[in-house]
Amino acid sequence: MIRLLAAVHLTVFAAASLTNVFPLINRAATYSFGGSNMLAAQIEQGAPADVFASANTKLPAQLHAKGLCDTPVVFTRNALVIVVPRKNPAHIRTVGDLARRGIKVDVAAAGVPVGDYTTKVLRTLHLLAAVSKNIVSRETDVRGVLTKVALGEADAGFVYATDARTVSAKVRVIQLPARAEPTIKYAACVVTSSHHHAAAQAFLTALLAAPAQRKLRAAGFLAAP
Amino acid sequence: MSRVAVCAASLTALVFLLLPIVAIFAHTSPAHLVHQLSNPVVRDAFIVSLKTSLLAQLLIVLFGTPTAYVLATRRFPGHAVAVTLVELPLVLPPAVAGIGLLAAFGRVGLLGSSLHALGVTLPFTQSAVTIAVAYVASPLFVRQAIAAFEATDPNLAAAARTLGAGPVRTFFRVVLPLARGGLIAGLALSFARGLGEFGATIMFAGSLEHVTQTLPLAIYAEFDQNFSATLAMSGVLVLISAVLLLALRIGLTWQRSTSTTSPSLFGLSASS
Repeated sequence: MIRLLAAVHLTVFAAASLTNVFPLINRAATYSFGGSNMLAAQIEQGAPADVFASANTKLPAQLHAKGLCDTPVVFTRNALVIVVPRKNPAHIRTVGDLARRGIKVDVAAAGVPVGDYTTKVLRTLHLLAAVSKNIVSRETDVRGVLTKVALGEADAGFVYATDARTVSAKVRVIQLPARAEPTIKYAACVVTSSHHHAAAQAFLTALLAAPAQRKLRAAGFLAAP
Repeated sequence: MSRVAVCAASLTALVFLLLPIVAIFAHTSPAHLVHQLSNPVVRDAFIVSLKTSLLAQLLIVLFGTPTAYVLATRRFPGHAVAVTLVELPLVLPPAVAGIGLLAAFGRVGLLGSSLHALGVTLPFTQSAVTIAVAYVASPLFVRQAIAAFEATDPNLAAAARTLGAGPVRTFFRVVLPLARGGLIAGLALSFARGLGEFGATIMFAGSLEHVTQTLPLAIYAEFDQNFSATLAMSGVLVLISAVLLLALRIGLTWQRSTSTTSPSLFGLSASS
């Protein structure tokens, strides 16, 4: 009945790193941006999402395994970088500098995709123990890390390359060594309990189509493999 | 007819308020709740919360009591502005309080940059948590304290003065005991509010286990990891708040029945 009166209104739960780009791709949907892990937990608790777009493939796969969402599709990729405040008060030039005494490093919490990527990178570089000593906060999503660095409160933080671009006037980007770069794939799925299956599926299809992919690329995301 | 409507509305309201509380405890058995308290994340968060809250309340009482007394007993130009300022954190969104605290006391903040030059950096420390709690919770104490001081009979203080007591002695021996009920009530409310502080803390102090992660921050952090731990922590907070409020009610009723001339109580019951 209501569907006859109004166009289908999609609710999309999407990773915080998609905050700037998703509204450009689909202006009509209602978005809830946050840590992918928090969004997945909300969907498990019965939150009324139609689409779930995560900053990893693990969380959609877990929801799929529990019968809470349809088969996930990978729709884009990203890169992890270090950001430091523009003035770089701690004079950080490489990831190794993060292990220096007294550096304030901000990361995302374990379970948040960007937090897990950060741990992986530091482990690959054998810097996990040394850098962990310098961690001053574990944020609930990537934007929390970005804000603390952009404000100059933290000396460095790990965020996605796309996040760094949104505040390029306030932060400087330090690339990670190529051998340590993690594979960051974003997967999305239609939430099984959605009442708007067709529209949700159409959202995913559009996400993989050229116009949306162009917008993702323009925002700094990488082509889906 | 209208009585039925009123009853139905009140019943709906009570059920609405009760249901989330019941749900928290319905999900966890008491044994499980106690078991979760030995979970290091829960224990650390509890200790951080207790430590920072107690310290914040100490600061609130030390600075808030004289402030409330001055605002209650003196009229000066800008009095209304001062009262508004004292009450403002009560209605400010916690996120705004967090931004304000960062802009003021952050490493590059208004005052924070000078502090940083002196070697004191507040963000990401327990001091930052304490400051956030004190900022957000203080109005509950100060408002109550102003009401309590306003309700004390000025003649009693005047009598003490004519009998030769100095202003300080009059304050501690006459005014303070008269206002005691209201002050304790304000402290309990402010403590309960402070324990629940979230937004300003996560923005200004961050969230790190054992250092700045208070119970509400741990609840948020554990939400997707360990739902039963979040329920246990929520249960703890519900119990503490309920016990505080209940103790307050009982204390009030008891005071009302044992003393007939404690005007501060009327100030309290009027505004609580």
